[in-house]
Amino acid sequence: MKSKEIGRTGNIYYVVIFLLIGAIILSAVYSVSIGQVNIPFKQTMDILLHSLTNGRLGSLDQVESESYLNIILQVRMPRVIYALLIGMGLSLCGTVMQAVVQNPLADPYILGISSGASLGATFAILVGFGSGAFLSQFGVAFGAFVGAIFASIAVLVLSSIGGKATSVKLVLSGVVLGALCSSFSSLIIFFANNAEGIKSVTFWSMGSLASSSWDRTPIMAVIVLLGCGMFLFQHRVLNTMLLGDESAITLGINLSAFRKLYMVITALITGTMVAYAGMIGFVGLIIPHISRGIFGADHKRLVPGALLLGGLFLIWADILSRILIHNVELPIGIITSVIGSPLFIYMIVKKGYNFGG
Amino acid sequence: MELVAKEMEIRIGKKEIIKNMSIHVKKQQFVGLIGPNGCGKSTLLKSIYKSLTPHKGSVFLDEVDVLKTSEKKVSQRLGVVGQFNEMNFDLTVQQMVMLGRTPHKKMLESDNQEDFQIVEEALVRTNLIDYKNRSFLSLSGGEKQRVILARTIAQQPKFMILDEPTNHLDIRYQIEILSCVKSLNIGVLAALHDLEMAAHYCDYIYAIKNGEVYAHGTPNEVLTSETIEALYQIKCQTYINPVTKNLGFAFGL
Repeated sequence: MKSKEIGRTGNIYYVVIFLLIGAIILSAVYSVSIGQVNIPFKQTMDILLHSLTNGRLGSLDQVESESYLNIILQVRMPRVIYALLIGMGLSLCGTVMQAVVQNPLADPYILGISSGASLGATFAILVGFGSGAFLSQFGVAFGAFVGAIFASIAVLVLSSIGGKATSVKLVLSGVVLGALCSSFSSLIIFFANNAEGIKSVTFWSMGSLASSSWDRTPIMAVIVLLGCGMFLFQHRVLNTMLLGDESAITLGINLSAFRKLYMVITALITGTMVAYAGMIGFVGLIIPHISRGIFGADHKRLVPGALLLGGLFLIWADILSRILIHNVELPIGIITSVIGSPLFIYMIVKKGYNFGG
Repeated sequence: MELVAKEMEIRIGKKEIIKNMSIHVKKQQFVGLIGPNGCGKSTLLKSIYKSLTPHKGSVFLDEVDVLKTSEKKVSQRLGVVGQFNEMNFDLTVQQMVMLGRTPHKKMLESDNQEDFQIVEEALVRTNLIDYKNRSFLSLSGGEKQRVILARTIAQQPKFMILDEPTNHLDIRYQIEILSCVKSLNIGVLAALHDLEMAAHYCDYIYAIKNGEVYAHGTPNEVLTSETIEALYQIKCQTYINPVTKNLGFAFGL
């Protein structure tokens, strides 16, 4: 019982949040300092301090190679920011989706978003948008985003047919549409005579942060952070969602309108993330549950906790994906599942986790 | 507060569930709805607390037109204890009761000292103060229902609707819950199954059959052998219980 109190009562909660922020900063610095090119930690710190303080602190005199600067600032920095943002975004969308459909099995991809995005990406890779310079450049990301958004709109429309969009109808529509999109993807793959393309579809579906770069960061940062900012203040509605439609009405909140709004917003966030980093499974399912185990199911505390934990988790998953096998970068989706599952099993077995109480 | 529901007509799909029904609950009155399963009690109550939209009719809580007022405004005045419902996620008892403050809060407003005070009082009233930090899902059915009642009390309603609140509960919880509601001294409209409970707690009773009011009046007027036999299609003999001096019922097929 005692350990369950951690992070729930008054001041301890703020200490935990503070520790998480500290851990994120330290992990980010560590993440920047490691990689295939071996850059001494001291020089990494110099470069970081120098660029973050605009030259006032840290000097570049001891940096051995000009290319170190590039590697740290142009390759590794955006990558760690990506990991942080995507971790936060996935864990936020997972938390919200679980409340929206009142189902602990929900994750950001549940309502057809993943299959839609897969279909879009498969289409872009194997069929393509023609040789138009603009579209072919953004091909896969664009295809995945459009697929994700279309799929979630279709799920929303489908679940609203014949009355209110209840959580059960949402989940069922998501499953049905997901199956439909998957079969279309399979159809494209079946008829594609392109081994290289099929390989890149598989690789895309495992998720990767390798495409991170500064020029794509602003869009993602704005969308993810706006989403986080909004949901930090939605705890009252999210909490009543846990009670179901009937009880929520008697507490003055009409859930079906909020459900649609939340779905559209999470679809936007998830669509953007999927477009840039592919499908990173498991984070959106497991981090909300782990956070509930720590902070309880009250969204006022759960949402900030889940955001930070998600960011921290993905930074570490990214670190591991780069250092586990020398000179090979594993797809991050593999890592998240491999560390996520045992962690979750431990929680269920050892802590008697029962979804937040 | 006074509740007046007039000429209500409710259809679900093509089926007419409620036909031209009118209900009146006077100030601080405890009014019961009785009738067999499927006669439309719950449907009527749902349309009063805005979960269902009636086809025709009007609902007024004093001067507030319930059907045309927002859920939030209605829920500041009207509290509902429903049939027991399951949850997939867990909250502590205190958090659960705190949700009762939702109607009185703006979206960004946080819970203040007063809210905690109100929640504390609701917990004391329902004998749940020792359960404050327990997890809701770990409680028994009767305890859960008491938590829901505490949540509704924390809502500080001027009127309360009970939809078979004591289903599946043992006799002690039934008495506890109904006594607690009665002691609030606000208007109550309750769908009840147990006729002895209805006879004991209600000031006025509407007997419903096939979506229409079959009879209404004080418990002694309504709960007669003839009415009960017509409502439930069973044989029934009423008597005065020698111990409690309340109305008692003996049933047979």
